[in-house]
Amino acid sequence: MKPEGFVFLFISWGLILGLITFCLIKVFSKKELK
Amino acid sequence: MKQAKKRNSWGSRLGVIMAVAGSAVGLGNFLRFPAKAASNGGGAFMIPYFTALLLLGIPLMWIEWTLGRYGGGFEHGTAPGIFHSLWQKNRFIKYFGTIGIFGPLVIFIYYTYIESWTLAYSFFAITGKYSALTDQASMKSFLSAFQGLEKNRYFNGLGVAYSFFLITFIANIWVIYYGIKGGIERLCKWAMPLLFIFALVLMARVLTLGAPDALKPDWNVNNGFGFLWNPDFSALKSAKVWLEAAGQIFFTLSVGIGVILTYASYLSKGDDVVLSGLTAAGTNELAEVILGASIIIPAAFVFFGPSDIQSIARSGVFNLGFVTMPLVLNKLPLSQILGFFWFALLFLAGITSSVSLAQPAVAFLEDEFEINRKKAVSIFGIASFLLCQPAIFFLGRGVVDELDFWGGTFFLVVFATIETILFAWVFGMEKAWDEIHKGADMRVPRVYKFIIKYITPAFLFIILGMWFWQEWLPIIFMKNVSPADRPFVFWTRLGLALIFVILVVLVRIAWKRKKAAEERLR
Repeated sequence: MKPEGFVFLFISWGLILGLITFCLIKVFSKKELK
Repeated sequence: MKQAKKRNSWGSRLGVIMAVAGSAVGLGNFLRFPAKAASNGGGAFMIPYFTALLLLGIPLMWIEWTLGRYGGGFEHGTAPGIFHSLWQKNRFIKYFGTIGIFGPLVIFIYYTYIESWTLAYSFFAITGKYSALTDQASMKSFLSAFQGLEKNRYFNGLGVAYSFFLITFIANIWVIYYGIKGGIERLCKWAMPLLFIFALVLMARVLTLGAPDALKPDWNVNNGFGFLWNPDFSALKSAKVWLEAAGQIFFTLSVGIGVILTYASYLSKGDDVVLSGLTAAGTNELAEVILGASIIIPAAFVFFGPSDIQSIARSGVFNLGFVTMPLVLNKLPLSQILGFFWFALLFLAGITSSVSLAQPAVAFLEDEFEINRKKAVSIFGIASFLLCQPAIFFLGRGVVDELDFWGGTFFLVVFATIETILFAWVFGMEKAWDEIHKGADMRVPRVYKFIIKYITPAFLFIILGMWFWQEWLPIIFMKNVSPADRPFVFWTRLGLALIFVILVVLVRIAWKRKKAAEERLR
């Protein structure tokens, strides 16, 4: 893999892992369904 | 947890998120995305992909979750009722909502059969039925015979395939029978984590492949990832690539079908949709970009090399899943277990999607005809069982492609466009913005007020126009259908038109009954 390939992979993974981590932390800290 | 009268409801927040994520995560995450990315600019594909996710995918998720919850407040779990709730003065809008029942039903009747192949293959993997096969031709022949398209020493008819179809179909009906909390939620709460475990194991196996052939050191997993991720920026100049990215986002998130509307209708008015919708989308992207992209293409590269991988990536979803991947896994130690993990992963991805495709039709009968769940599921079961038969017995004659085009492509984009316009322009963006934020656990960034009103609809109209002109017209005129298959495609089309008309008539009957009931009460 070229360096640019690594860049795209790490940015993509980072964005998605960041999003899902943010979401799951918030979900587990918030209220349940009414 | 409060129930809206006698309507079903979700048991937990994680449950509804897992269910929507389950609906979204399917074969496409593991087969379609890696091939599309590799063939459309590699790493550079992620630029239009993330653009489409932000401007199309996530807005549509929020729109569908919000509309679904809104309609559920009026005890409507499907688009006819939901659209009518949004625009009560318009007598006809509910008929456009019929698409939200038609689409899922049409997809269900072929998807279930394909899902049954994954169950069958997981059985074949663990029993070693195909473990002696080492080349593409014999693996293709194995698949063909299983599908009843040819006879050989492995299969001499459709008996085995049909048996697995029956098991799969019954499993789907079984889940739906137990309702939202007892059936769908319970399934997804264990199926989704198990799916992720299988995917992680396969990904770990792929990451540790190295370069199995010492004579071909370039055929290694690092270069396999490179094939997918190395960017080709020239691809970004092509409108086709941007369209492919938008299409992939559309299909991967299962927006525009109507299933998210139905699932969200079982939420209460004060339940959050913003964070839940975003979490479901994020879960899907995790399955797609991180897991899905790290299994089949890099593994195929390692064993088939840089020349063959191009044609493999273009060979289609079925070839990748049922020919290439089992061949790759056959070359590894513990191949039977790995093969089982692969096909079990696909089966779990499939069944969590297919139960969501079944639910709108059942919900329609329950909500609009006040039929109890058992009776509604029985009616759906009988009708859909009969409708599943053409995809099984006329496979290879263009029937599945036709069902997939109308139910799984054309009407998706049309429906998404209608619901976006209704939401932002008819319901009105101010009311829509307030509705999104009822019970919300996070604020939607303010820029999305502009995006949902102007950008998402514009994006949809552009996709609609370009696809119609470039891809759909030839399909509609059967340009690539052989003369021998034309009657099958024609009769499929007629059958679909009949299903649509029947559903429209049912909507009309339901509304007339409601009106008569209201007048009796006065």
